[in-house]
Amino acid sequence: MIKLVNVTKKFGAITALDHINLSIDDGEYLCILGQTGAGKTTLLRTIAGLLKPDEGEIYVDGELVNDLPPEQRNAVYMFQQFALFPHMDVWQNVSFSPVIKDWDEDRIKNLTFEILEMVKLAERRDAFPNELSGGMQQRVALARGIASGARILLLDEPLGALDARLRVELRTQLRKLVKDQRLTAVHVTHDQEEALMIADRVVVLRRGKIEQIGTPNEVYLRPQSIFVLSFVGGANFLEGNVVRVSDSGSLIEMQSGLHILVSDRSRSIGERVVVAVRLEEVSVGIEVVNSTNSFSGVVETAMFIGGSMEYGVRLENDVLLFSRILLSDAVRAYKPGERVVVSFNPENCYVFAYPVIGLLKEIEAI
Amino acid sequence: MVQRSRNFAFLPKLVVLVAIAAFFFFVLLPTFYLISYVFLRWGEVQLEVFANPIIGDENWGQILKVLFFSFRLSLSTVAFDLVFGVLLAYVLARKRFPGKSLLEDLVTLPLVIPTSGFGFATLITWTTVGGIGGLLGLNSGLMPLNAIVPIINVPFVLFIVHISLTLPYVVRTLETKFQSIDTTFEIASRTLGASTVTTFRNILLPLAVPGVFSGAVLAFARSLGETGATMIVSGVSSTASIAIVRWASEFKLATASFMGSLLVVIAWVIILPVELYFNRRGGSFKISYQLPPSLSNKIIKMEKFASKSLPRIKDFLPLFIIATTIIVPIVMVLNSVMLYWSADPYTGKAQGGVVYQLFGPSNYFNSILQATSTSIIVALVATYVATCIAIPLAFIIERRRYGGFIRTLLKVPLIIPSSSLGLSVLLLWGPSCFDLINSGIWLIILTHIVFSVPVIVESIIAAYEGSNIQMYEDSARTLGATAYNAIETISLPLIKGGILTGFVLSFTRSLGETGATFIVMGRDMTVPALVVNMVEALAIPAALFTSTYLIFLSMALLAVIRILTRR
Repeated sequence: MIKLVNVTKKFGAITALDHINLSIDDGEYLCILGQTGAGKTTLLRTIAGLLKPDEGEIYVDGELVNDLPPEQRNAVYMFQQFALFPHMDVWQNVSFSPVIKDWDEDRIKNLTFEILEMVKLAERRDAFPNELSGGMQQRVALARGIASGARILLLDEPLGALDARLRVELRTQLRKLVKDQRLTAVHVTHDQEEALMIADRVVVLRRGKIEQIGTPNEVYLRPQSIFVLSFVGGANFLEGNVVRVSDSGSLIEMQSGLHILVSDRSRSIGERVVVAVRLEEVSVGIEVVNSTNSFSGVVETAMFIGGSMEYGVRLENDVLLFSRILLSDAVRAYKPGERVVVSFNPENCYVFAYPVIGLLKEIEAI
Repeated sequence: MVQRSRNFAFLPKLVVLVAIAAFFFFVLLPTFYLISYVFLRWGEVQLEVFANPIIGDENWGQILKVLFFSFRLSLSTVAFDLVFGVLLAYVLARKRFPGKSLLEDLVTLPLVIPTSGFGFATLITWTTVGGIGGLLGLNSGLMPLNAIVPIINVPFVLFIVHISLTLPYVVRTLETKFQSIDTTFEIASRTLGASTVTTFRNILLPLAVPGVFSGAVLAFARSLGETGATMIVSGVSSTASIAIVRWASEFKLATASFMGSLLVVIAWVIILPVELYFNRRGGSFKISYQLPPSLSNKIIKMEKFASKSLPRIKDFLPLFIIATTIIVPIVMVLNSVMLYWSADPYTGKAQGGVVYQLFGPSNYFNSILQATSTSIIVALVATYVATCIAIPLAFIIERRRYGGFIRTLLKVPLIIPSSSLGLSVLLLWGPSCFDLINSGIWLIILTHIVFSVPVIVESIIAAYEGSNIQMYEDSARTLGATAYNAIETISLPLIKGGILTGFVLSFTRSLGETGATFIVMGRDMTVPALVVNMVEALAIPAALFTSTYLIFLSMALLAVIRILTRR
């Protein structure tokens, strides 16, 4: 088990990690999700021992490892560019750690061969890294990590250097390998889709602080902040004030008098709030089906995105509301300029206090 | 495991300490001692330079005169270098054409060629009947040795030699700079309607300004300190560097060291601010100037026209410069060796032939053999010791916070004029300070270490920064390698190419060095110094042979560099 207690790391005036508390179970696949500059890589390097925290403690299996050099931590760091030693062939790369650790020669041979077989690269053992494709290089890097006998894999954007299709393909393979080998993996990524798909738990990191920790389901369905909601999945954000709280929910008045009903009753009257609705929860139709949270407007944009359509509808109060409708669910298509009615359920609305720094600042990158 | 690493924890610190101590002691101390010597012996300096009982301040007048001459020569050389160097660097960096690598080698040649041999080749080419003059059917050289270039008022041959010896610094630096600039900027500019020349003026050149400056600085320092070739071709005029050699050999140490310190200080005052400025700015530089629109339009139109008609001139001119400054002298000296092989072709006397001079009563062949062995021992030992200092030093520069400072200090020996360098080593280790080593082979080695260390360090740093060493080492560390293991198995093999290149570069430099060697060599003569002596003894055929021999030796080494860097 890896445990971080109040870990803080500063680079000059920038606080890259700000009192991080985190524990990672054995055999867990943990994703650290965040934008560029959120401190993901710093966190990973700190766990690896490549950086020393300014404050706080790091424990591995109950032992304090702050002063332990990287080679004694049994945690392999995998770089985005794989860092295969260019002057060594595949075999030498994979057997690097066993050789350095001076294991028995037969054991090294058998182990290296076994692992190369596992990643299906035994035939390329004499090749040099620059002769291999990106996918192969990634497999060699994994094989090298596993051969070291380390129980912890620290993966820094391990799929980032690969092309889009391979990236998707290798996600499941990566997870399977980690699970089969019963390793603990800490995987850093900025790709929310990747994190949600691959991880047991996701840590959303922002400006060196943890915004939320949870299973992919929790992070997606119960985001604890506007940032998490916008970063993981995205949503429409509407500003307003709470005008009434009743048994059926709270009523929120938007700037130009439109009212939104939400199930959340935790806000008090008069509070300035942000209401968020996921794009896929907004439906588009021609007529009013249900009078709550139905607004008429004009289609402004219609975009075809893979298997779904994304509409931007300009409401009467000038708010632009986006909706995403799966093609298979679509009743019909709408054209820009067409008058439509958009609606969403009060249960599907998230309500947050209006952020101190302003809504746009809260959502924007970094 | 933990215990073991703790026991050896002091080792890295010890290595760092020893490397830095060696650097200060061997590389920096001589220069600083030279300057302090002037202050320590100020009475002596004053007596010799300003208030000589017999000649008064005649020496001071001499110093001023040679200083002005040196500066005129160096500045005009750099100006010429820049005009043609920029063109040549652009062609080399941006065009592909057959024979390009040959052209690159030719440009590099003066960097590795022993300067006295090359100076002699140039001298032959321009001023004797064995050179261009003879080819054109004249009965004399194309021009007398004392022919003067108008306006700048320096001897023509001296000017030519300085151009050929300094041009590579401008070209190589700028070529690397141009290559590092993404071609997309130029493509964008072209697609936005700018002609090639306009694009070059507005896009490429401003981006390359740091390269222009650092190339110019290197060329300037080289020209200011050049001694070997200058001694041979200077005729009656004297540059600051050869004045130092002359005074040192006349044991006017006070005058020589005063002159040497002046040269060092002036070089620093000019060069270090430029270096520091561009280092701090991280290579970015912005020139803002505003031309009146009408003029600007005119220029752009002219450039458009020039872009159509210029390519030929642009390709041809640099080739012409290289041909006249580098190829022709080498061909001429070869030709002369053949002409003079058995006898003087003009008088028919066998005494004037190469064979007679080499194997006859003066027995120059024996001297050449001896000088060769001295040269090789010096180059090997100096380069080896310098490499041992340079490797840890390069790591310190890359890894430690004060590395940048050390890297700046490394410029000190790079820009010190070579005769000042020789003098400083002589003063430091010789009778006037430590009194440990007398003139001779060991002092030559100590001198060569000084300029070899920065050459090797720069080469290692280039390899280091080009290969993301930190990532590979980090990776190795998390795979279980100790810091020492990681250096041994990962970083050293990865920068091996850089170390080897640095070794060969410094070896050739050591083999060809003349100015500093001349001052410290005593009776142990190196091959380039031998050439100077031969010329002074008017043993022209022997000098011809030895120059050819030197040129071929360095060309062979250049081939080695090419093979090493190609990998």
